[in-house]
Amino acid sequence: MSKSRSALRLPDPSATPRPKSGALRSAVITGLGTLTVLALAACGGNSGAATGTTGSSGDAAPVSNGAAQVKVTIQNVDGKAVCVLDHSSAPAGPVSFEVSNKDASGVSEVELLSDKRILGERENVIPGLKPSSFTVTLGGGSYQLYCPGSEPENTAFTVTGSAASAGNSVAEQLKAGTDGYAKYVDGQVDSLVGAVDELKAAIDSGDVNAAQLAYAKARPFYERIEPVAESFPDLDPALDLRIADVQPGTKWTGFHPIEKDIFEAKTITANTKALAAGLVGNIAKLKSLTAGLKYKAEELANGASGLLEEVQSSKITGEEEAYSHIDLVDFVANIEGSQQSFEYLKPALSKIDADLTNTISAKFDEVTKALDGYKDASAIGGYKIYDAALKASDAKKLTQLIQSLQAPLSKIAEKVATA
Amino acid sequence: MSSHESTETSDGVSRRRFFGAGATVSAAGALAVGAAGGALVANSLHAEPAPSEPISERRYAFYDAHQAGIATPPQDHLVFMSFDLTTQSATELQLVLAKWSAAMAQMCAGEPVGNVEPAREQAVPVDTGEAMGMGPQGLTLTLGFGPSLFDQRFGLAKFKPKLLKDLPAMAGESLDPAYVGGDLCIQACAYDPQVAYHAVRNLARMARTQVKTRWTVLGFGRASAGANQSTPRNLMGFKDGTRNITTPEDLQEHVWVEDSDQSWMDGGSYLVARKIHMLIETWDADYIADQHAVFGRNKTEGAPLTGKQEHDTPDFKATGTDGKPVIPADSHIALAAHENNGGTKILRRGYNFTDGIDSVGRLDAGLFFLSFQKDPQQFISLQSKLGASDRLNEYIRHVGSALFAVPRGLPEAGKYFGQEFFS
Repeated sequence: MSKSRSALRLPDPSATPRPKSGALRSAVITGLGTLTVLALAACGGNSGAATGTTGSSGDAAPVSNGAAQVKVTIQNVDGKAVCVLDHSSAPAGPVSFEVSNKDASGVSEVELLSDKRILGERENVIPGLKPSSFTVTLGGGSYQLYCPGSEPENTAFTVTGSAASAGNSVAEQLKAGTDGYAKYVDGQVDSLVGAVDELKAAIDSGDVNAAQLAYAKARPFYERIEPVAESFPDLDPALDLRIADVQPGTKWTGFHPIEKDIFEAKTITANTKALAAGLVGNIAKLKSLTAGLKYKAEELANGASGLLEEVQSSKITGEEEAYSHIDLVDFVANIEGSQQSFEYLKPALSKIDADLTNTISAKFDEVTKALDGYKDASAIGGYKIYDAALKASDAKKLTQLIQSLQAPLSKIAEKVATA
Repeated sequence: MSSHESTETSDGVSRRRFFGAGATVSAAGALAVGAAGGALVANSLHAEPAPSEPISERRYAFYDAHQAGIATPPQDHLVFMSFDLTTQSATELQLVLAKWSAAMAQMCAGEPVGNVEPAREQAVPVDTGEAMGMGPQGLTLTLGFGPSLFDQRFGLAKFKPKLLKDLPAMAGESLDPAYVGGDLCIQACAYDPQVAYHAVRNLARMARTQVKTRWTVLGFGRASAGANQSTPRNLMGFKDGTRNITTPEDLQEHVWVEDSDQSWMDGGSYLVARKIHMLIETWDADYIADQHAVFGRNKTEGAPLTGKQEHDTPDFKATGTDGKPVIPADSHIALAAHENNGGTKILRRGYNFTDGIDSVGRLDAGLFFLSFQKDPQQFISLQSKLGASDRLNEYIRHVGSALFAVPRGLPEAGKYFGQEFFS
C-alpha cells in the first residue's frame, strides 16, 4: 500500500498523480482554500427545506430538570421510516432530545443541525434498544433534526427567545484545539531537528552503535507527525521512502538508506555521511514549511485515523524498519501522534458526541496498555525488536486492536468538519 | 397465522419500494413461505406459484418463526464467519446484537445498511457498497451463539441451554485451533458470493470495536440439497447426502428445538460446523471400485450399490455372490443411514471450499460441513460412529469444529436476537 494513503486527506481538486510515497498534494497549504467550498457543496443533499412532521405543531416543549424535553420517535409506517417530534419548538436554553427507534431498521442515528453544523447527536439509535437522549443549549432560531434514512430526513425545530450568542463554544474549542495541535507539531519538528543533528554527528564520527541509537531516537518525532510531513509531496519521499518505493532512476535518500547502512551493512561510508547531511537539510526544510501552519479540525481527525492506517499498512508488516526492526518504536509513535490529534479535538467532540468520545478514549487506553507490554529497556528504541517470531505470534492481535480503535476514530472528521 | 400474513404484507410493500413495480406481493409471500419450513411449508401448497423472476430478486423473509438459512433451500454460495467478543461489557454485546439484527433485516431485503455515498465530504460511508444494485440474491443470514458466549464475561450463564457445550473430542479429528469455536457466528448464504461476503463484511465492520473475526470459510458450491433440489456433488465427485431432511415432518422431529430449558431456543436449532479437509490428491489416485465402496454409491448416478437410481432406498442386507454385503458395512452411507442409527437424522447444509495450498504442499480443499439438529447429540452419535470406522476417513480429516445455538427467528421489526438476555 502506498504511504500516500495516510497523508492528511482532503479533497484534492488538482487530481494530479501522487508520488508513490508522497502525500496528497497541497493538503495542508493550498487545500485550505478549497475545502470550505467543497464541504458546502457536499452538504447540498441535506440542505433542502426542512419539512418534517411534528406531533403537535407550534407547541413548545415543556421544561423540566432545567431543560426543555423533546421526544423523537422513529418508526416504520407503511414500509417507510419516519421521524416524529412531539414538540416542534422549545424556549431558548438547554434542550433534551430523547430518541427512540421502534422498528425502523435502516435508521440508526439522529443529529441536531443548525444550518449544516452538527450541534449534537445520538448514534446507535437501533430498534429494540431503550430510548437515549442528548442535551444541547440552544439560542433562538431555526434548527433541523436530521434522521438519515427516514423520510423526510430533516424536520424543522424552532427555538424561541434570545438569539444564539455570536460565539459558538464548540467552534471556539475546535479553534483552540487546532491552535494547540500546531504548537505540538512545531515542538515535534524542533525535537526532530535536534535528533537528526545528533544522528549526523554520530555518523560523522564513524560510530555505528551511536548512530543506531541516534536513529532510533529520531524516528518517533517524525512518526508522530507523519500525516503533516506527508502533506509535502516532494519532501516526504526525500525523507521517508523505502527502497521498494523508489522510482527507477531516482536517488534513494532519507532515513531508510541510512538505516540500511548502519543496521544491515553496519558500516559508515562517505555516502552514509552524505545521506545524513541531506537528511539534516531536508528536516530544516520541513521546519520552515510547518512553521506557522494552521490546521482544520477535520485535518486533525483524518490525520489521527491516517496514522492508524500507517500502523496497519507498514508497521504491522515489518516493512517500515526492514533493517533495524524497530517497527514497534514507530508503531507506538504513530499511536501517540494519533492520540494527540484526538486529544486536541476532544473538548469539542465530547460536546457533539459524548459517547463516541468516551469510546475512543477507552480504546486509546486499551491500546496504550497493550503496547506497554512490549516495552524492553534493553532494546534499541525501548521496545522489543519486531522480528519474525514476534510478528508471527502477535501481529494478528495488534491488528485487531488497532482496527477496533480506528472504527470509531474514523467517524470524527465528519463531526468536527461540520461543527 | 396472522403474524405470518402481516410479515408477508410488509415484505410486499418494501419490495415495491425498493425494486419497483415488477415485484409482487404474492411472489414475496410464496418465497417467505418456502423459507420458513414447518407449518408454513404446508401453507405454501395453497400459495400461488411464484412468477418467474430473476434469481437476483429472490428474497427470503427475515422476520419469521425460524431463522432463514436452515430450512431454506441451500443457495449456491456461503460465507461463514466466527467471531469473538473483544469487549467485556454486556451493554456493548447488547448493542452488537441489536445493530446486527437491524442490519441483517436490511441486507436480506437487498438494501444497504446505510449511506454508501454520504453527502458530507468528511463522512465515512456506512455501507461499503459492493452489493449495490445486485438485488437480495436470496440472501439469508443466520446467527448463532457459541458456548463461550455464556461464560462469566457477560453474566449470561443462566441463559445457557444445557445442550450447548463444546463438542467432545472424536476419532478422525486433527483440529487446527485457528478453525475452532467462537462466541458468535454468522452463516451467510446467497446466490451470489459477493452479496454474501458483503453482508458478513458489513456486520464485522459495524462491530469492529466490540468483536474480532476468529475464522472464516468461503463455500463456493453447495454440497447439500433441499426439497426439490437435485443433489449436488462434493469435491470427490460423489453425490452425498441424498437422504437429507426435506419434509416439514422431519424438520419438526429432528431440527427445530421444542421445550428447551431456555425458552429463547424454542423454534431454534443447533448448528454444527466442521471444516473437513479432503486428501484430494490421494483420492484422485484411488480406483473406482474402491471409491464406490467408500461411499456405498456409484459415481455417475449416485445410486446406492444395491439400486439403479439415486433415490432408490439402499438395501443394507443385500449380499453379493461372495456372500458379503453389496453396500459395505463400513461405507459412508451404511454408517450414516438413519436405519442403522435408531432413526437419527440431521439436516445437512454443507458447502465445498478451497483455500489454496496447505502448509505441506497439498491442495487445501474439502467440505465445510454444516448441519442443524434439535440436539447436538444427533451429530455426536453419527460422527462418533463415522469417525471410528468410516472408509472415507482415509481421505478426510476434520480440521475445524464449532457448535452454535441458533435462536428462533425474530417475529417483527423492532426485536433483536438475544433481547431476552438484557431485559
